[in-house]
Amino acid sequence: MIKGIWVEGPVKKGVLDFLNGLLAEKKIKAVLMPAKNKGGDSYAWFLMGKDRLLESADPVPPVMTTQGANVVSYLTKKGPVWEKTAVLLRPCEYRAVIELAKIKQVDLTNLVLISFDCPGAYPLEKYVNGDPEELDESFEVCLGGVVELDGPRNVCAICHRFTGTGADIEIGLMGGEGKGFWLVPGSKQGEELLDGAVGSESDNIDVREKAISDRTIARETKRNNTLDSFQETVMGPENLLNTLSACINCHNCSRVCPICFCRECYFDSKALSSEADNMLQRAQRKSGLRLPPDLLLFHLGRMSHMSVSCVSCGACEDACPANVPVSMLFALAGRNTQAVFDYEPGRRLDEAIPHTVFKFEELKDFETPYIKEYSKV
Amino acid sequence: MDEKKEFTPSIIYGLCSWCGTGGSETAGAMHLQYADNIRPFRVPCTGAIDPVYILRALIEGADGFAVSGCHPGDCHFDSGNYRARRRIAVLKSLLDTFGLDSERVLLRWVGHGEGKRFADTVNEFNDYIKEMKKNPLAERRDT
Repeated sequence: MIKGIWVEGPVKKGVLDFLNGLLAEKKIKAVLMPAKNKGGDSYAWFLMGKDRLLESADPVPPVMTTQGANVVSYLTKKGPVWEKTAVLLRPCEYRAVIELAKIKQVDLTNLVLISFDCPGAYPLEKYVNGDPEELDESFEVCLGGVVELDGPRNVCAICHRFTGTGADIEIGLMGGEGKGFWLVPGSKQGEELLDGAVGSESDNIDVREKAISDRTIARETKRNNTLDSFQETVMGPENLLNTLSACINCHNCSRVCPICFCRECYFDSKALSSEADNMLQRAQRKSGLRLPPDLLLFHLGRMSHMSVSCVSCGACEDACPANVPVSMLFALAGRNTQAVFDYEPGRRLDEAIPHTVFKFEELKDFETPYIKEYSKV
Repeated sequence: MDEKKEFTPSIIYGLCSWCGTGGSETAGAMHLQYADNIRPFRVPCTGAIDPVYILRALIEGADGFAVSGCHPGDCHFDSGNYRARRRIAVLKSLLDTFGLDSERVLLRWVGHGEGKRFADTVNEFNDYIKEMKKNPLAERRDT
């Protein structure tokens, strides 16, 4: 397998040229990627094809509007795409696509997954309400991987899986210093598509690998430290409920979450609606009841359902109107629950989701051993 | 000390209809005494117990939640107890993460004939929860 192709020149233009080339050669039929809005203040996903990409298409957008995995799930909800379609995804979006493919919410047939070394993303609110041009400019500077993004989202600042390892084609930006990028094949399909791409056979790809491993180590330490100190601020009922107290029970976080795929969510179902009498009783017992109720149940319940698959994409926090640090809570919960099964969401397609694996002998620590005898027979 | 004696924990006990409840029946047939403040409820299989049920019980006033079902390899539905174990493992590590007393959730397999094991489990867990005192979440009104 070829190691990678070095393409000199500005990154975004280079990627678009490469994709346009694939379209022109009819190697792919369509491309699904974000494009800038007419107003210039945000991004939306477009399925584009025919001869050329849209003028405003942007392979590396500075914000994550709709989570890419949700978009891919929409596309393949009623079956696979019929012709080769390339999808440009952030690494976290790519990992979510893999998770969804495991639970049959995405059909990967005929999809070409392309990912890139992600510098992070701005909070959606900051971008929409701020000065997009200025933010675009400072984002562009970070593409080479030399400078860290200024003021990214909380989870982006501690992201340790910022490369699209495993995708059919990786766009290697790290170590390119903005002078160009590598096209790295990750599968046989990717290699076939790269065959004949404009660029030079790369001999300098070690630079990228070095840059990635350096940043990974730094980020892993940062992630653990940040999450540990965050954990201290949410430990115990008092702290946790104070953190969640701003929540307005809108359930936006679950609606935008790619992993929360259930069409009928337990927390939106009739199971949780109860008669006034029931709530009065609860209010008596607790000497008061916050309404709408079941705030803690919703967040902890959702964590118990999907935190093992949480890819830390931060879509939940972008969607939160009350600025609850949901993404950090889920990153923390995910880190600890994933560690139980030594599982990493989106790492490999053939790695089953822990909830679907049944083993005879395991997890002895979570059973209480029977050692104490009380009654005599 | 007196105060501690007065505290009667409310404990919910999820039992599967093939083994756990069988264990409680055997305990009855053997005339074994066990704490009467547990509230058993029967589920078709421990694999049917969603962590949300446990969370809801703990948030709404239960001081402890025990789950008993068939021993590994004995599940009537082949793999329900393995599922329960994985779910409870996730739940317990979640509760640990947020400092919410994961010891209030107990998982121990009880076979149909194991009446003594059932009675002992109830007594042991009851004593344990008595030591832990009341569940702080039960009194929070802002949950």
